[in-house]
Amino acid sequence: MAHSMAAKAEYNYDIIKRFAAMAMVWGVLGMFVGFYAASELAFPFLNFDSQYITFGRLRPVHTTLVIFGFGGSALFATSYYIVQRTCQARLHGDGMANFTFWGWQVSVALGVMSYMLGYTQAREYAEFEWPIDLLITVTWVIYLYVFVMTIRKRSQPHIYVANWFFIAFILATALLHVFNNLAMPVSLMGMKSYSLFSGVQDAMTQWWYGHNAVGFFLTAAFLGMMYYFVPKQAGRPIYSYRLSVIHFWALVFLYMWVGGHHLHWTALPDWTSTLAATFSIILLMPSWGGMINGIMTMSGAWDKLRTDPIMRFLIVSLSFYGMSTFEGPMMALKSVNALSHYTDWTIGHVHSGALGWVAMVSFGSFYHMVPKLYNTKMYSEKLIFTHFWLATIGIVLYITAMWTSGIGQGLILRAFDSYGNLAYTFVESVSYLHGPYVTRAIGGFLFVTGAAIMAYNLYMTAKQGKREAAEAAAAAA
Amino acid sequence: MSNTNQKSGGAASTGHSWDGIEELTNPVPRWWIWSFYFTVVICIIYWIVYPAWPVGKGFTTGTFNDITYNVVDKNTGEAKEVTTHWNTRALFMADMQRGKEALKQKAYMDEVSKASFDEILADPEKMAFARSLAKGIYGDNCAACHGSGGTGVVGLFPNLADDDWLWGGKVEQIQATIEHGRQGFMPAYTDTFTAEQLDAVAEYVLSLSGHSVDENKVATGKRIFNGQEGGCYYCHTTNATGMLSVGSANLTDSIWTVANVPAASNLEAKKDTVKSVVTNGISRKMPGWSERLSANDIKLLTVFIHELGGGK
Repeated sequence: MAHSMAAKAEYNYDIIKRFAAMAMVWGVLGMFVGFYAASELAFPFLNFDSQYITFGRLRPVHTTLVIFGFGGSALFATSYYIVQRTCQARLHGDGMANFTFWGWQVSVALGVMSYMLGYTQAREYAEFEWPIDLLITVTWVIYLYVFVMTIRKRSQPHIYVANWFFIAFILATALLHVFNNLAMPVSLMGMKSYSLFSGVQDAMTQWWYGHNAVGFFLTAAFLGMMYYFVPKQAGRPIYSYRLSVIHFWALVFLYMWVGGHHLHWTALPDWTSTLAATFSIILLMPSWGGMINGIMTMSGAWDKLRTDPIMRFLIVSLSFYGMSTFEGPMMALKSVNALSHYTDWTIGHVHSGALGWVAMVSFGSFYHMVPKLYNTKMYSEKLIFTHFWLATIGIVLYITAMWTSGIGQGLILRAFDSYGNLAYTFVESVSYLHGPYVTRAIGGFLFVTGAAIMAYNLYMTAKQGKREAAEAAAAAA
Repeated sequence: MSNTNQKSGGAASTGHSWDGIEELTNPVPRWWIWSFYFTVVICIIYWIVYPAWPVGKGFTTGTFNDITYNVVDKNTGEAKEVTTHWNTRALFMADMQRGKEALKQKAYMDEVSKASFDEILADPEKMAFARSLAKGIYGDNCAACHGSGGTGVVGLFPNLADDDWLWGGKVEQIQATIEHGRQGFMPAYTDTFTAEQLDAVAEYVLSLSGHSVDENKVATGKRIFNGQEGGCYYCHTTNATGMLSVGSANLTDSIWTVANVPAASNLEAKKDTVKSVVTNGISRKMPGWSERLSANDIKLLTVFIHELGGGK
């Protein structure tokens, strides 16, 4: 016990506090941009004829801010927290950890500014042009080094499951980022570059990256988060060690195959398409392994759902994780994809994962972690409940709106009349979308409002922690 | 520390503890592992039936799932049946040739391709088919300029739903317009007229459609219009009724295609819109569609447009 207390005092919490703060800044900003872009789709005048805020430029600003700004910073924060606490070792290299902070924040900031100015590689979730890609690469390699060196210093013989997921996430992301961004700059002084690949190979490389960004960045890494904060918050042991081993290896092996399902019915060879579809099906149960282990870990602590809002965030996140990892393989089937592809169903699916799983598990984890970082309690539990309901209702509105618009769109575009002619014009499918688009924007507004309340709550918690620490220091003196 | 856990059916802890987190030795749930095997079996069936695994320079093509479709020989023009393993292109070809909807459409299409315009216009069944097909063609190709209801935009894109036809409202004329496109042009009389002359021309033009204006100015305007000072009559004719061959507007009816006279609130404003057109001229271009739409599509679109404006 004395040993663990001593180690605890030596944890590097400063870096975590900074990443957590930036996660909230980027998160609220990015979700707001998402809400604004969604409103532009419902009411196009909102782009005010300014090229900088047209939907086409705001969309990557939104995705970059929420995935890399919010999600990335949240992963840095929680992985640095978890690796230190489960290894009982201080984070390796303060200077290098600081470099990962600045490298990451500068990359995100430069990235979104460059998109608004019109610089983009036009690769989804990899829009960063080459100079920013280089900065990300350096930052990421240092992240890997800091993480692995911390694990090597652990005072436990075994490596905790959460850390396996984080290592898989860091390694896979490095691989994906480097290969998908192989490009030749037009000049050393300019931002523009051209991909090393062309045609369908370029498309396949991009979606190998794109889907594994979902698989490793947004799934494996957040499972790492889940594997620490769920047992911690529930006060329960992990349900099955064996399940965690099997679903971990199945997940990391299978995800790498499935990117082609983003390119069904295109120039992609049929066999590639089939493999992607089938591996997506086999991926279902390994994905669910994480959900089962999480939910079964909570089992026995269900009574806490009545009183503990953090538990609610965690159980809702696991539910959405299970739902979207079922929906994904279904949409990866060629026949379903023929309807769903190029419709808003895809957008709905992404957001049930992104809002329901990624954001909710991050919210729950932050509500657990931030008070511990500042050695205090949450400023307001009532505001956590408020946030929970705003977020949950927001997600439900968002997803149902996108199912309605996406499936409706798909059915409209393939409908025939009694003469064997297409029953609708394209523009009729567009005008159909207005209602769902308004609903989606309302859902997004509720979600970002909840996140802003959370940011305020965490800010007040940090302030309260600092004040208590100052008072304790004064009393001791 | 106890190695058993009462609440989880007595499964033991693995004995590890990380920051207070322990792990139980529960086995993998049976339903989970069987479901996993089930998905693998489904995929093996999928692999047998569809192209799936790369082998050397080829791939496993799948079996029990062949597709038959017609290929037309480029030299002889003869259709030949081809049977191949399942693939996206063959599936598309077969569906376009033998799909339920494709066959339905083809039956009607064969009929209308043989029929003359008069035969189509006289046959309610053929007209219903024309409306159904052309609605989509119009919506996806024409509506961007002419509007989804065909009412156009005054000054930019002609109204197809009124009774006024710049280039002719007979089916043959409409067909020629769609096939080859049109270039509407009126020269700009920028420095041609003095202010008084311009005013007089505008008064005359408005008088043609029954606006009450200054008699003296009208007389002056008419002289300019029909004389060498203006020469407007070259295109608009001395009756000002326009000519279909050059697409010049009939100025004697109350339909305005460029100057938005009906929208102007008072006579001065109406005159200003006319003056603006005279001063700035008109240059409008509609592209030809014969490269993009099939002859049958254009035929049915022609009938659709003809009906839209109560054609001649």
